[in-house]
Amino acid sequence: MPSDDGLGRARSVASRPRVPVAMQRQTRRDWPATLGLLAPAYGVLLIAVFLPLAVMAFFSFLKQAPFGGRPLVFTLEHYLAFVNRPYLIDVAWRSISLGLWTTGLSIAIGLPAALALARATRGRARETIFILIILPFWSNGLVRVFSWTMVLRDGGIIDAGLRWLLPSLPPLGLLYSFPAMVVGLVHAYLPYMILTCYLSILAIDDKIVEAAASLGARSFTIFRTIVLPLALPGVMSGAVLIFVPVIGSFMEPRILGGKVGVTMGTVIEDQFVQGFNWPLGSALSFTMLAVVLVLLGAFSRVPRPRPTA
Amino acid sequence: MRIELDRRRFGQFVGGAAAATLVSSAMVPGLARAAGETITVLNWQGYGTDEEWALKAFTQKTGIKVVHDYFNSESEMVTKLQTNPGAYDVVLVNSARTSQLGADLLDPIDLVKIPNARDLTPALKNHPNFMIGGKPYGCVWVWGITGLGVRQGKVAQGASLAVLTDPVFVNRAAMNDDPIVAIGIGALMSGQDINAPKDLKRVGEKLRDIKKNIRLLWQSEVEWNKAFAADQIDVSVFWSGAAIRSRQNSKLPVEFIMPREGALGWIDTLTIPKTSKNKDAALAFINYMIDPDFYYEWSTKIGAPASANAAAMAKLSDDDLNKVVHKAEYLGKLQIHGPLSDATRAAFVDLWEETKAFYAK
Amino acid sequence: MGALGRIWLFLVLVFLYLPIVIMALMAFNASPFYALPMTFTTKWFVDLSGNAKLIAAGRNSVLIALVTAIVATAIGTMAALALHRRQFRGRTLLRVLLLPPIAIPWLIIGTAMLVFFYWTGIGRGLHAMILGHVALALPYVVLVVGAGVDSLRPDLEDAAMSLGSSPSDAFFRITMPLLAPSIIAAALFAFAVSLDQFVVSYFLAMPGVSTLPVEIYSAIRKGFTPEINAISTILLVASMVIVLGFARLSRIGAGR
Repeated sequence: MPSDDGLGRARSVASRPRVPVAMQRQTRRDWPATLGLLAPAYGVLLIAVFLPLAVMAFFSFLKQAPFGGRPLVFTLEHYLAFVNRPYLIDVAWRSISLGLWTTGLSIAIGLPAALALARATRGRARETIFILIILPFWSNGLVRVFSWTMVLRDGGIIDAGLRWLLPSLPPLGLLYSFPAMVVGLVHAYLPYMILTCYLSILAIDDKIVEAAASLGARSFTIFRTIVLPLALPGVMSGAVLIFVPVIGSFMEPRILGGKVGVTMGTVIEDQFVQGFNWPLGSALSFTMLAVVLVLLGAFSRVPRPRPTA
Repeated sequence: MRIELDRRRFGQFVGGAAAATLVSSAMVPGLARAAGETITVLNWQGYGTDEEWALKAFTQKTGIKVVHDYFNSESEMVTKLQTNPGAYDVVLVNSARTSQLGADLLDPIDLVKIPNARDLTPALKNHPNFMIGGKPYGCVWVWGITGLGVRQGKVAQGASLAVLTDPVFVNRAAMNDDPIVAIGIGALMSGQDINAPKDLKRVGEKLRDIKKNIRLLWQSEVEWNKAFAADQIDVSVFWSGAAIRSRQNSKLPVEFIMPREGALGWIDTLTIPKTSKNKDAALAFINYMIDPDFYYEWSTKIGAPASANAAAMAKLSDDDLNKVVHKAEYLGKLQIHGPLSDATRAAFVDLWEETKAFYAK
Repeated sequence: MGALGRIWLFLVLVFLYLPIVIMALMAFNASPFYALPMTFTTKWFVDLSGNAKLIAAGRNSVLIALVTAIVATAIGTMAALALHRRQFRGRTLLRVLLLPPIAIPWLIIGTAMLVFFYWTGIGRGLHAMILGHVALALPYVVLVVGAGVDSLRPDLEDAAMSLGSSPSDAFFRITMPLLAPSIIAAALFAFAVSLDQFVVSYFLAMPGVSTLPVEIYSAIRKGFTPEINAISTILLVASMVIVLGFARLSRIGAGR
């Protein structure tokens, strides 16, 4: 495809140095600039997230939240929740598999969509589609999830549509099931994947692809050896942006999952809302955070294909 | 309601570095205070106190303005009350929570200062749930029943809670996703005290028995109504007031059933926080909230739980759905939710979480 | 892959807009419970026009989201440049620290904020809400812009500087334009995060001040009416017109 994309042409990736010159040249005298760039963002995060979470972390070692004149009694019992409550292992596994399904499907749907956006559209059409992909998320999440119940329920849009084609169909029972939760979650998080992949793919130089094609490489080979490795940073950021929050999600599971919708997110929410047990709720969420970090750490060590072009 | 971008209040942040990057500003809801007295009410949204027509009438009568803040769960109510001293003047408290908030956060109420309190149903007026040291810490407002909401004609009046396990309703039942309600239902099914079941294991067994029938665990009225209207469920544990609203306002074919084993009862009170600065205005508002005229409008136009004011219930016509569902003699058949210790509550939540994990498997 | 790709994109858009279209349709349906068959009505829009509280809440939401998007995008882009362009000790740690605000459910962070702000005297109000919204939108901005920075060639700036332009000149004339799509995407996400954020607003707004998500979530126990669908639809259509119009005029959506 002829490139009218100024971005693509400006960015040849073939000889990208691993450590850029700008970084090597940077010395100690640059640290005020680095600090200046980081301070506002991390200052806000410190006040609004890290310090408050530190308070919660402190609570998680208490028997009860120190309100209403309750004495401070330290305990580790909340961190033994998985030992004392074996059913939580099932629940955690359901959350992880929700995360894997949602992330996997988002890659399967989002990566090709990003490729198509970057390579099969251009100009105004591309800008419009780019924005159209994000705009649905300027509506309320809860309202969107309730709309999905309308699509998935018996007598809903899918059920009615299929029944119109095949009148003798038994009730599908799509709503209140594991797949229903996955559909709702994929819908909620897919745009992150499309856009992070798209941003990476934008950086691929058309000339490399054309050169490979002119040397007789098949599309799949080009995809596997050139496009995929270069799109990988986008896929990775997208995967993090999806997998991490899905593990703790509770709204989609509650409304779309019916009785199957029991996840770490709902267990933690229940401990906060119904049990008023902040120590246990926060211990569970810090445990969950630790598991997520370990999983991501392990995954980031898996060797990845490098561009071979 | 005004939003004012006010650069002078820049110093409100602690971290200086972060503050420099933010547009600081403050919302000023209290501006109206200068004009006349304003009270702030903390309640569920759409639960009587915030009906616009009622507030208009109240302000006209007394000159007192009413502002609302809401909570979405009782634990949020407790949190908001604890972290905002002085912010609230009237707070809705389920009487099972009164002893937890106790004398630290609430004021005792002198019912003599509330003229309409003379007609309060005697059994409710000084209910032990909200009496501390012989004084009422709240004025009883409304009560209701958690029983069965069923599709009309599918279950007879006076049926047993066992319909929840009836194979006729496989995958057609719903349960309230609330540990206190769920454990209460399990306790009723196994013939135990809902506030102190001696044998929690049997409660758990009874709850596990309904797995095959359970399709939906609902937390909100809107969720329930959508599932019922879409014909996804036939029988469910449901709130009496909500059943009346579904039938009366939305014309859904719901019938409320008082189960043979009895049902769960709850009592809501209006309380005044210790830190309130407008206690007289708060008393005037509470007086208006138990007024028979207000209640009649609320119940017939919007749909309400049962009033604790006998004069208000007497005002309803005998065939009014509210009166039919909330028969005065039911008060004796209900097991009323009472205070729970932290340990008991934790045990209830644990058992319910385990049961839900079992349903999901 | 051209035609196939465009078909795929079209299908993805259909998937993304399916619930949105239903949301809009149900704003015109007489049944508040989304019951079918549909009976057309404009009742919910009429009700909405008289609902000053909901309209004010909508206005507050948009205002806060706007401020959040601007602040979070500005300081998030700065942080992303530092994290992805510069080498310093603790870089990995700072990157990992972006994950807790995403991983820990908002409910818990919101509760933690409420308690901490109460203890430190930051208190409630618009300043606290914006602080909270910006903090929760930041990780998304840094991750999205960071992905964009990673796929830039950093030696371009060097090349420009070796040809005589100043570092800031090189940055604003070379790097910024190349980063524009990422920054715009990040701002759109930050706006969306803020617009959908209810826990923080819920705990930190002054009594009597409300945002749209707060209205929706506090109404859920009893049941919200399709007025919510109506105002959501109006907001979405309006933002679509504004954003697409803006993109058309400035052509900054995704590079030329």
